[in-house]
Amino acid sequence: MTIVNTKSRKRMREGSFGLYTGFSMIIALILGGAIVPWLSKYDPNAPGGTPIAAPSGAHWFGTDLLGRDVFTRVFDAVFIDLGTAIIGVSIPLVVGTIVGTLLGISRNKRVNSIVGSIIDGINAFPFLIFVIALIAFIGPGIPSIVLALSLVNWARYARVARTRAVVVNQQGYVEAARILGFSKVRILFKHIIPNVSSETRAYALSDFIIVIIAVAALSFLGMGTPPPQAEWGAMIHDGTQILALAWWPTIFPGLALCWAGVAIAFVAEGLQRRLRETNSK
Amino acid sequence: MYSYPETESFKEDPMAEVSGPSEVSEVDTTNRNRAALRRMFYGRFLRSLSVGFWVMVIAFLMIRLSPGDPVRIALGSEATEASVTEMRHKLGLDQSVFSQFFHYFINIFQGDLGYSYFSNRTVTSVVTTHLPVTLQIIALSIILGILLAIPIALLIAQSKNQLTTYLFRAFTSVSLALPGFFLAVVGLYAFGIKLHWAPAAGYEPGFPGSFKYIWLPALVNCGSLVPVLSRVLHSSLMDTLDEEFVETGVIRGVKKIRFYWSYLLRPSLAPTVVLLSYMIGVMIGGTVIMETIFSLPGIGRELITAVDSRDYPVVQGVVMIFGLIVVFFSFIGDLLGYLLDRRVTLS
Repeated sequence: MTIVNTKSRKRMREGSFGLYTGFSMIIALILGGAIVPWLSKYDPNAPGGTPIAAPSGAHWFGTDLLGRDVFTRVFDAVFIDLGTAIIGVSIPLVVGTIVGTLLGISRNKRVNSIVGSIIDGINAFPFLIFVIALIAFIGPGIPSIVLALSLVNWARYARVARTRAVVVNQQGYVEAARILGFSKVRILFKHIIPNVSSETRAYALSDFIIVIIAVAALSFLGMGTPPPQAEWGAMIHDGTQILALAWWPTIFPGLALCWAGVAIAFVAEGLQRRLRETNSK
Repeated sequence: MYSYPETESFKEDPMAEVSGPSEVSEVDTTNRNRAALRRMFYGRFLRSLSVGFWVMVIAFLMIRLSPGDPVRIALGSEATEASVTEMRHKLGLDQSVFSQFFHYFINIFQGDLGYSYFSNRTVTSVVTTHLPVTLQIIALSIILGILLAIPIALLIAQSKNQLTTYLFRAFTSVSLALPGFFLAVVGLYAFGIKLHWAPAAGYEPGFPGSFKYIWLPALVNCGSLVPVLSRVLHSSLMDTLDEEFVETGVIRGVKKIRFYWSYLLRPSLAPTVVLLSYMIGVMIGGTVIMETIFSLPGIGRELITAVDSRDYPVVQGVVMIFGLIVVFFSFIGDLLGYLLDRRVTLS
């Protein structure tokens, strides 16, 4: 009894450090994003106050060129940045998983080779360059960023899903479901997609880091939110213009972005360790 | 911690796993290797050609995503109906999509990527003037990255200390989550504004002169390159260290340099080289932003300017060139990776 207990506890511990640290960091960020703009006596977007004031008791992170409180703005941007990244990861995750799975189990060679070539072609472009180019054609803004990310990224998920679906499709339980006479749709959604998506969801987590940085980078290049709205990338960009005068309008939003990235990295690392532990058991 | 789809598919791609014919006597090993190599070469080559073709197709179709009429954007809002029709005819836009693609495809091979809408330049001249700067930055990043990653991976792999390995892994995963463009801004602040080690703007063409301007962007690129490379190299070094031939080398007392290269590095480098060729795509993205931060006259800054002014042919041309560059380097990377690891054919 005790032996079983220690074993299971040991398994629980594997990767827990990363998971707990990562989740606490994310929760802290979200709480900050919910509470700070609400409690703060400063408007995140309206100009006013002393411009470029150094960090002090009144302004913890100082003020920017227009006299706005950097602390309030950094936390006001949390939902824009995290939200865009979450949607920007979810759409390609769903689309890519479904397309990839269908490709993996379909026997139509022509469709397979054409869609497969398109997937390879999209994946050949450097990720950020392709997104930037698509935004050139569809116009700037957060919805465009999400659309461009989806148009580019589904292909990466589809590639992961296709490889996995080929394997899953040959498993005993899928064969069993087929012999039992379940409908194709039921087999697809109840048996194949859940097993394929465990792989694509794991990929989504590491992709989330790339996407949240890409969203900020695109805003940094002026392709994201229109000016008054606080957004980390745009704040870093505005800060760079007055970098010789003040470091705080640039460094603090940058640190927030790093915080988000590192938090997700911790979660991804922890989950990976835990999965490895479960698999090796 | 990141999963790289490209390298994963390299492992899982049936074409990548070239195994020689099974029933060959040991005398024929060289012939077998050569045949396998040739098969691998042609397979990869054909695949690269097909991906390259689709890169062109996608770049061609991309311009159709734009909501407005490209011709009207090019001519401005005061264009008359007649001039629009004339321009359409001149550009061949009144023909079918397939014939348009055919002309586009033929023109690419003649080095003609179209004209910029706003400046009086051909897209080809934009690319040939500005691409070398970008490639220089990427080349310097790769050289710096390799020079840093190999000693780091060797040191960590040979230290028996568990804590060192753990810290190394933790450090690499954290540094991968840091945004490169922010590191670039921090670098600009620290080295450009505070320490005056790097000029904040300006450029001088030609290699020795340009070094002053590109060492900092290249170093920032290494911020993402070195963790990835050293981590992968470290894990393949750990695998190699378990091999018996390494022990044989130690017992035989092979010379240090020969030991490190032939016994440790060469058998371990293949995954790193493949990954490096994949990282070129990532670095192109990073370098584009870096050029706007450090005001370097590279192709990335041209791309951003073209995006801002909706200069579609320039965007299309630059994106296609980058796509082809990535296809080319992943071909080279796969080939080098295969050549470096002889065990692939000998086992």
